[in-house]
Amino acid sequence: MRALRIVIAEDAAVLRELLAQMLTERGNEVCAAVADADALRAAVAEHRPDVTIVDIRMPPTHSDEGLRAAIDIRREHPSTGVLLFSQYIETRFATRLLAAGAAGVGYLLKDRVANTAEFTEALARVAAGGTALDPEVVTQLAHGGRRTAEIESLTAREREVLTLMAEGRSNAAIAQTLLVSAGTVEKHVAAVFGKLGLPPSEDANRRVLAVLRYLEA
Amino acid sequence: MVVELYAASWWLIGGFDLITPLRWAVVHQQLGTAGGAVMRTVSPFPGGAGAPHAGSFAGTFLTAGIGALTLLAAPWFTRGVIAVDRWLLRALLGPGELAQRVRSLEETRALAVDDSAALLRRLERDLHDGAQVRLVALAMRLDMAKERLGPAGGPVTDPEGARELVATAHRNAGEVLSELRDLSRGIHPPVLNEGLPDALATLAARSSVPVELSVDLPQDQYQRPTPAIETIAYFCAAELLTNVIKHSGAGHAVLRAEQRDERLRLWVTDDGRGGAALSTGTGLPGLAQRVRTVDGSIRISSPAGGPTAVEIELPLHA
Repeated sequence: MRALRIVIAEDAAVLRELLAQMLTERGNEVCAAVADADALRAAVAEHRPDVTIVDIRMPPTHSDEGLRAAIDIRREHPSTGVLLFSQYIETRFATRLLAAGAAGVGYLLKDRVANTAEFTEALARVAAGGTALDPEVVTQLAHGGRRTAEIESLTAREREVLTLMAEGRSNAAIAQTLLVSAGTVEKHVAAVFGKLGLPPSEDANRRVLAVLRYLEA
Repeated sequence: MVVELYAASWWLIGGFDLITPLRWAVVHQQLGTAGGAVMRTVSPFPGGAGAPHAGSFAGTFLTAGIGALTLLAAPWFTRGVIAVDRWLLRALLGPGELAQRVRSLEETRALAVDDSAALLRRLERDLHDGAQVRLVALAMRLDMAKERLGPAGGPVTDPEGARELVATAHRNAGEVLSELRDLSRGIHPPVLNEGLPDALATLAARSSVPVELSVDLPQDQYQRPTPAIETIAYFCAAELLTNVIKHSGAGHAVLRAEQRDERLRLWVTDDGRGGAALSTGTGLPGLAQRVRTVDGSIRISSPAGGPTAVEIELPLHA
């Protein structure tokens, strides 16, 4: 995995420093580690990192400072990916984040940080312009929608593939996660799209949006 | 409404009767001295009872007399009616005792609801910023340690690093436990399950200012106040002792609790510098409002220079 240039924005010092340590140990460069949204914007403008890790809730109001900064950063620095994380998944935040497109954005639960291998893989995906959505986002959106009949028509395997697609993973990544061949994955993907009546899409990012929009309906 | 009009009619009738001689004169002017004309007397009493009609000019003066008497009586009658009105108004529309009670209950209920909402928000914040962050950090450290232990069945790549991470993770776990313990004590101190006397004793023992404890409370669970009241009493004592420690500069304090005549009384006194009041930022207003919510009372005596004495009185059940 190539070395990334990263900016961290997290107001809890313990977590911020630990993240910086963990990422540095894996050969990445942490250009800056800040504690609020204004400092984040300044750091991104100065360092032009590959990706930023942003806590959604930061001072002063601890509501959505991180989210707003993330949306601005995506607009002003399209080559910088943004991986948002927070203690809870709020689907309306996911909707706002994805409104401008799924490329180069991610939204994970802070808990995912505990699995460092998966976290760094998601980070790399976002830095490369892909998507990384927490399975919890998918679950909440699916439960809130009215597509239960269609989703139940999928096999268990197909549902797994659907979830992984919604997280933003590519066919190759899905194959690796499920420990099957790429061909098998393609077959499942086609079946899912067929059963749900979605137009087929090669592009992982567009796929995410299509699936999410489907689930939200 | 009808009564007022009736009272007003006395004036009109009195006036009408009074001018009967004049009317007689006018009528007879018009009609000539044709006899047999009778002047009616209007009586102020309903039904026209007892009003003699005037059959002669002289008779009109009797009518006039009745009119004069009516006019003299009218003010008293009117005043009487107005007095009755005023009494009715106050009884029906004024802030009666019941209305005041309702208003007080609405106020304290609103305060209680706000209070509990604020408490829940603070708890969520404390958990989010405290215990949760520590647990995420703990999990991260364990994961990083696992990596340093190398692949399963293979050589350990970084034993020292692994050991250090595990040690820190272990310490984190202790910190989280301690934090959760403090948090839950802020919600409901387990010691309260042993009863108010033990809980107050623990408060006194933990205080950095020496506290003389005097407790006269029943042990019989049927005579004890309800758990809700005991909890309020405990938190009041805790808050007051905190004030003593933080603000009073006292060298000695007294915590006294007594249950008598269906009331629970709590006293916290100290020999500090005084100056505590419901308006200053010592958490006293919040305490007073919580006490008020259960229809308790709080009395503060705290002249500048001290000493300070706070007395709280609570019912045995909310």
